[in-house]
Amino acid sequence: MASRLWATKAASYLRISVPYRGFATGTWTLLICLLPTNAVIKDLKYADSHEWVKVEGNSATVGITDHAQDHLGDVVYVELPEEGTEVTQGASFGAVESVKATSDINSPVSGKVVEVNSKLNDSPGLVNASPYENGWIIKVEMKSADELTCLMDPDQYSKFCEEEDAKH
Amino acid sequence: MRVPRILEVWKMGVVNYSQALKLQEKLTSDRKLHKITDTLLSLQHPPTYTLGKRQTDHNILVSESELKAMGAELHYTQRGGDVTFHGPHQAILYPIISLRDIGIGARKYVEKLELTMIELASLYGLKACAGQKGETGVWVGRRKIGAIGVRISSGITSHGLAFNVDPDLNYFKHIVPCGIADKEVTSLQKEVQQILLPPEEVIVEQLISCYVRTFDYTDVVSKDISSISLDN
Repeated sequence: MASRLWATKAASYLRISVPYRGFATGTWTLLICLLPTNAVIKDLKYADSHEWVKVEGNSATVGITDHAQDHLGDVVYVELPEEGTEVTQGASFGAVESVKATSDINSPVSGKVVEVNSKLNDSPGLVNASPYENGWIIKVEMKSADELTCLMDPDQYSKFCEEEDAKH
Repeated sequence: MRVPRILEVWKMGVVNYSQALKLQEKLTSDRKLHKITDTLLSLQHPPTYTLGKRQTDHNILVSESELKAMGAELHYTQRGGDVTFHGPHQAILYPIISLRDIGIGARKYVEKLELTMIELASLYGLKACAGQKGETGVWVGRRKIGAIGVRISSGITSHGLAFNVDPDLNYFKHIVPCGIADKEVTSLQKEVQQILLPPEEVIVEQLISCYVRTFDYTDVVSKDISSISLDN
């Protein structure tokens, strides 16, 4: 119990939060709480289709979460939109391919695509290796900050992932 | 208490690829809007070559006109995976299901499709296994007996799996199947050799049962629509 509290404080200091694996006890609790799988970054907002958005002014950077890349498997291809494309909150703007499955990526915000991460053409695996940093997918000039209220904060998203994973 | 999970199975006979695609698009949209339950299309295609989203047509070894002369069609699709062939005596399942309802992602879903075919193969004494990294599908040794290519849109699946019961394997000579050059394609009939297989309908039923078990459905409703027009 004490080690879980310590781990939570450490995670909070490091600006990450991890879902608590209820079945762990004792010293294993500490290790499991700090495992990088399904990491959720503070200061980002999250969509229920497992995309994240980082907002700076009216500029939004979008990618898929650690939970998403873990559940996809190794990404071998990313279909990127053209710069200048309009995106709509909740609608698909591109896709990733992994294990013979193409999965649509939905935009968490509406606006215009001002930049795409062209590194993903040669290195699609960046989405797996660095989902929140080098694996970013598009940058959007947002239409309205009001839309952000539809998205989840990190704690809500962590809980959402736990509930989804508990279904099977 | 187990949450009830209902599957509706459509038994469709031989269906043209474009028609099947249109039907899947409609069912995917309906499933997204919760108008229908999880649905499984069981069907076969006339001779058809298909490409995935990456459009790897360098893996087709003949021209499109040569394919047409053979009596085959070519389709570019939005599914994952490389080039493949579909034809008579190849059992296809297209599950249109909600992955969010069962809390799984692409990787786990594809694993379950592989398990479905592995289980079917085991009914005939074959030790099939999932492919290694980058070789998704079901293999008997170095020979591929089942292929997978899937699309997931807002958590709803379309396209699916193709299991070679006894298709004409010569059609595979005109492509680099799934983009893997140094391995063969095989079929259930080829693997069991002299053993007489039961009628194809029996094998298809078994495939559907393997799917139902692997995906843990509690109730199954079957619709035989092989004689009904799809234009509605």
